[in-house]
Amino acid sequence: MSKVKLPRKSTAIDMTAMCDVAFLLLSFFILTTKFKPNEVAQINIPSSTAQLPLPDKDILLIQVEKGGKVFIGVDDQNTRALWLAKMAEHYKFKVTATMQHNFVVLDSYGVSASQLPQFLALSPEELNKVKQPGISMEVKPPNPSEFMDAILFARQSNPKLRIAVKADKEASYEDVNEVIAQLQERKVNKFNLITSGRAANAESANKE
Amino acid sequence: MAEMNTPESGAKKGKKKARSKKSSTRVDLTAMVDLGFLLITFFMLATTFSKPKAMEVNKPAKDKEKTEDLPEIKQSKTYSIVMGKNDMLYCYTGASDDTSIKVDSTFFSRTGIRAMIKQRQLEVQQQWGDKDELFVMIKPLPDSKYRNMVDILDEMAITGVKRYAIIDEFSEIDKLVATKSGNRLISEKGMQAINAEIAKTGIK
Repeated sequence: MSKVKLPRKSTAIDMTAMCDVAFLLLSFFILTTKFKPNEVAQINIPSSTAQLPLPDKDILLIQVEKGGKVFIGVDDQNTRALWLAKMAEHYKFKVTATMQHNFVVLDSYGVSASQLPQFLALSPEELNKVKQPGISMEVKPPNPSEFMDAILFARQSNPKLRIAVKADKEASYEDVNEVIAQLQERKVNKFNLITSGRAANAESANKE
Repeated sequence: MAEMNTPESGAKKGKKKARSKKSSTRVDLTAMVDLGFLLITFFMLATTFSKPKAMEVNKPAKDKEKTEDLPEIKQSKTYSIVMGKNDMLYCYTGASDDTSIKVDSTFFSRTGIRAMIKQRQLEVQQQWGDKDELFVMIKPLPDSKYRNMVDILDEMAITGVKRYAIIDEFSEIDKLVATKSGNRLISEKGMQAINAEIAKTGIK
């Protein structure tokens, strides 16, 4: 009996198909991607059945963190520059080129007006490291709060701004209500609450 | 020089190789696949997939000068939902006689608050002939979470309640419900303001 010789097969596999798939997926992700903005606050947004997509232009974003810290920012860089100029005029500080650059690059900020010049004078690396304390919501009776001022100046810089509130789902109602109440003081009665989608629930409810 | 050093056997082989061989056109794609998947992972992690949705909220304009009386809503058309801590809801139907009010406690769920709103819609439809006559008063206590507010607004959209309002003033019944369920009625900030006020008047 002669031994059956097993033919030696090469271990090389044809990678062409796999390569095709990989690059197909890659091109899909490249085309659909929109980079996450550098976030100042960790916010878990609640979900709702709202279907309205958030407009991507002319947004004044108010972020409320779990602990009640408030951050604000606008999406457009020209508006940011104007906004800073208005605040500098009101709080009487001088804007240097670096400060302006830092502010224009910043997605949203949350420091009080007195700290703002000092904060913006930092280098970009330091700027990202600093824990921002949130904008002051305190109203000292004749004067409005710094938050209200910031809203006013932002809307003066770009009257088309729409206001979106992005609050953490665990934030207390009190804090969010304070933001809303102060917005209403500034005659903002229409605004958007940012939520993540949850579609199936609504349909099943309607079927019932 | 190197040629001189080569042994004969090698030279023979070389001679054989000299006949041009048909080389395969296959390229090793492994490295390319590796690179492809590496980039995919990067883009997958860097991308934000679900676009956030916006829930539109319209609040009634605050008008300090205008204090004309608004027409009162009949108690039998109302439904009050008090939102407390730990996602609890306390709801009751308004009545002209406060003693006959029954307060239900419930949760956010399809069988909980949603069923109750639907039940109430039916009742209003039977009594008034139109379920849109129902007026829901949402009263969040300071201990409730922002999520509760979004959920209840969502619930309004799902059940199709046309008329509702978030109200920050509490009636006697709401106050009773809040204290009985262990919720605070006044927020911490409100408390501080009151204490400050007391201190001020005390000094004077």
